[in-house]
Amino acid sequence: MAARLFLDEVDPWINWGWVSSHIPYIWDAVQQHIVLTVIALAAGLVISLPLGVAAHRSILRLPVVGFFGAFYTIPSLALFAVLVPFTGIATTTTAEIPLIGYNVLILIRNVIVGLDAVPRDVLDAADGMGYRPLARLLRVEMPLALPSIFAGLRVATVSTIGLITITAVIGLGGLGQLINQGLQESFHSPLVVATALSIALALFADLALAGGQRMALPWARSR
Amino acid sequence: MIRKTRTFSLLTVAALVAFVAVACGSSPTPSGGSSSKGTITVAGFDFAESSILAQMYGQALEHNGYTVNYKLRLGKREVVAPAIKSGQIDLYPGYAATDLEYYNSGAGEASGDVAATAQKLNARLNPLGLEALTPSGAVDQNAFAVTKATQQKYNLTKLSDLASIGDQLVLGGPPECASRPFCQPGLEKTYGIHFKSFKSLDTDGALTRAALANNTIQVGLVFSSDSDLNKLGLVVLQDDKHLENADNVVPIIRQKAATADVKAILDKVDSNLTTAQLITLNGQVELNHQDPDAVARAFLQQHNYFS
Amino acid sequence: MSIAASVWAWFADGSHWQGADGIPTRLTEHLQLSAESLAIGAAIALPLGIALGHYGRFGTLAINISNIGRAVPSFGILVIAFQAFGLGDLPIVIALTALAIPPMVTNSYVALREVDPDIKDAARGMGYRDLAQLIRVELPLAVPLIMAGIRTSAVQVVATATLAALIAGGGFGRYIIDGFATLDYPRVISGALLVALLALATEIVLSACERLLVPKGIRLEMAPKLGRATTFKVA
Repeated sequence: MAARLFLDEVDPWINWGWVSSHIPYIWDAVQQHIVLTVIALAAGLVISLPLGVAAHRSILRLPVVGFFGAFYTIPSLALFAVLVPFTGIATTTTAEIPLIGYNVLILIRNVIVGLDAVPRDVLDAADGMGYRPLARLLRVEMPLALPSIFAGLRVATVSTIGLITITAVIGLGGLGQLINQGLQESFHSPLVVATALSIALALFADLALAGGQRMALPWARSR
Repeated sequence: MIRKTRTFSLLTVAALVAFVAVACGSSPTPSGGSSSKGTITVAGFDFAESSILAQMYGQALEHNGYTVNYKLRLGKREVVAPAIKSGQIDLYPGYAATDLEYYNSGAGEASGDVAATAQKLNARLNPLGLEALTPSGAVDQNAFAVTKATQQKYNLTKLSDLASIGDQLVLGGPPECASRPFCQPGLEKTYGIHFKSFKSLDTDGALTRAALANNTIQVGLVFSSDSDLNKLGLVVLQDDKHLENADNVVPIIRQKAATADVKAILDKVDSNLTTAQLITLNGQVELNHQDPDAVARAFLQQHNYFS
Repeated sequence: MSIAASVWAWFADGSHWQGADGIPTRLTEHLQLSAESLAIGAAIALPLGIALGHYGRFGTLAINISNIGRAVPSFGILVIAFQAFGLGDLPIVIALTALAIPPMVTNSYVALREVDPDIKDAARGMGYRDLAQLIRVELPLAVPLIMAGIRTSAVQVVATATLAALIAGGGFGRYIIDGFATLDYPRVISGALLVALLALATEIVLSACERLLVPKGIRLEMAPKLGRATTFKVA
C-alpha cells in the first residue's frame, strides 16, 4: 500500500480507475437497490389489487383512497426516520413500509380508475353471457383495466427507485449509499456513478414495463 | 411495427430474467457451517474512521474463523447504541469518554484517566448486557477548528480565547452537537463561550468544511484524528481547560459475543493502534479516497496480523 | 405521553414559533426555495414547451422529458449540485429547478398539441397571424393543462425541498433531519406534518388559480385530463 494515488489533487467527476476497481462494490449496491424495488412493487401489487377491487364498487372507496392519499403527502425522509425505533435501523422493514405504502396509493388509484373505465355495456354483455361475478372480474374487467394498472406500475417503479436512495439516511440506500459516501468524503465518482445508474435503472425498468404492457395487451397497442 | 414489438418483447423478457436473477442471487449465503465459530455483526458510525476501525475488528475476527456481518455508516451513537442494546448489532468501535457520557446521560464522570473512564463505562454498560474491552492507545476526540483567517483576525490559539468573542461567532457541527456534553453545552459550561448561533451540518464531513471555507460558520466541530485539516488551512484550537477527555478507541460489545477468544483478537488489534497511525489511516481514506476495508486490511497485514 | 399528545405539545410550545429555528423562519425558507425554483423553472420550461408544441417540433423528446426527469433521484441531484456549486441556497435552487422543468415542458407541449386543429384553421381563416394566433387562440385553450403541469412541479418542488436539509439547507426538512439525529421524534413528526400541509396548501392554492384562469366551458371539457397533482412521489 505504498502507492499513494493523490486523487484529491485532480478529482474528475467520474474516475474510471475507481469505477473499474470497485465493480463488485457498485454491483452490490445495485443488487440491494433492485431487491428493495422488487419487494416494494410486489407487495404494493399484492395489496392494491384486491383492495382496489374491493374498494372500487363499495363505500370503502373514499376512505381507502383518502387514507393512502394522506400517507402519500408525508415526506419519505420523515417516515423512514420515525419507523427506526420500531422496526430497527438499516432494516428492510423500515425501508419497505413507506415504499409499499406509497406504491399502494399509486396502484390503487389506477386499479380503481381502470375498473371504472370498463364500459357498462361490456359488463352487461358479460352478465348476459352467464359470467358469474368472480369470473367476470378475472376474465373481463381486470384485462380491460390492465392498461391503467400498467401505467400505475410504471410510475410506481420509477418513483420507488428514486426514493430508495433516500434510505441511505437510515443505513441502507442501495445506490444511495454511494451518493452518501460521495457527499461525506467529498468524492465525486461514487456520487455521479450512483446517480447515473439510478437514472439508468429507472429508465430501463420503465421501458421494460412498457414492453411488457405491449406483450400482455395486444389489443391495446396504440401508435 | 412487428419488429418494434419483438424488440420490446425481448427487452421485457431480458429485464424480467435479470431482475429475478438479481433478486434471487443476492439472498445472503447461509452463514457458518461447521467451520465458523459464530456470527458477529459489526457496526460503525457515519464517518470514515469508524468504518476503518469496524473493518479492522471485523477482518481480524474473520481471519480467526468468525463470520462477520458489517453494518457500516449506520448512523450516530443515538442510533447505534439502541441497536446494540437490542441485539441488532454485536460490536462497534466506541470512544471511551464520549460513550461513557452517553450511557450515563451526561453525568460528567469522564476524565483524562482512560483506565478510570473505562471502568466507569463498564459500570454503566454491564447492566445493559454490554461490555467495554481494553481501550486502545489511539485517541480521537472532539476538536474545534477555525480557518487561518479567523485565527489571525482574533489572534486565537486556544478555546479560552473564544470566551470574549463568542457572540460574534457561529458554531457549526452535527445536529446533536447542540445537546452533547462534549460539544456546545460543554463549551458554554467549561469555557463560558456563548455562540451567536449554531448551524446544523454534518459529522465532521464535507458540509462542515465547506461552511468553514465560506465563512458561514467560524468555528466547526472536527475530530482530532482528522488528516486533512492542514491541507484545508484549518487550525484546531487548543483545549486548554480539558473539556474533551479520554476518548480512546474502545470496542463496545455485547457480553454474549464477548468470549475470551473474541476479546483476545480485538485487544490485539487495539494494542497495535496509535493516534499517529489512526491519522495516517484516515488520510488514506479522506485524502486518497481509498476504501476503508482496503486500508484496514493493509494495516493488519503490516502488523503481521495475518501471518 | 402518546405520540399525538407529544406532537401537539411540540406545536403548542411557544419557543418553536420564534427564532432561526422557528416555524415562521423555516416556512419562509421552505417557501423561498420552492418559489424561486418554480419561477425560474417556469421561465425556462413554459416558453420552451409552448414553442415546441406550437411548432410541433421535437415531440418525442418533449413528451419523454418528464419520464426522464422522474427517473432522476433527488438526493443525487442535490449532492451533485452541492459539490458543483458549494454551500448555500444556490445549489438547492439549481437542483430543484432542474427537477421542476420536465413536467412543465411536457404538459405545455401536450397542451399546445391538443388544441383542436379545426380551431387553428378557423383562426387562420379569420386572419390571425402566427403570433397573434398563438397568444389569443391557442394559449387560452392550453391553459388548463399548462396549469396542471405547474401544479405538479410545484408540489414536487415543495416535497423535494425537504431534502435540502441533507446539504445544510433550511426549511422544514431541518426538523426532520435534526430531530432524527437527536431522537426527538415529536420534532420529526411535526416537520413531516408541516411539509404535508404545505404540499396540500400548494395544491389547493394552485387549483384555485387554475379555476380563476380557465373559463368554465373549457374546464368542464378538460376535466378528465386534469387531476390530483400529487401523482408522483419524488421525496
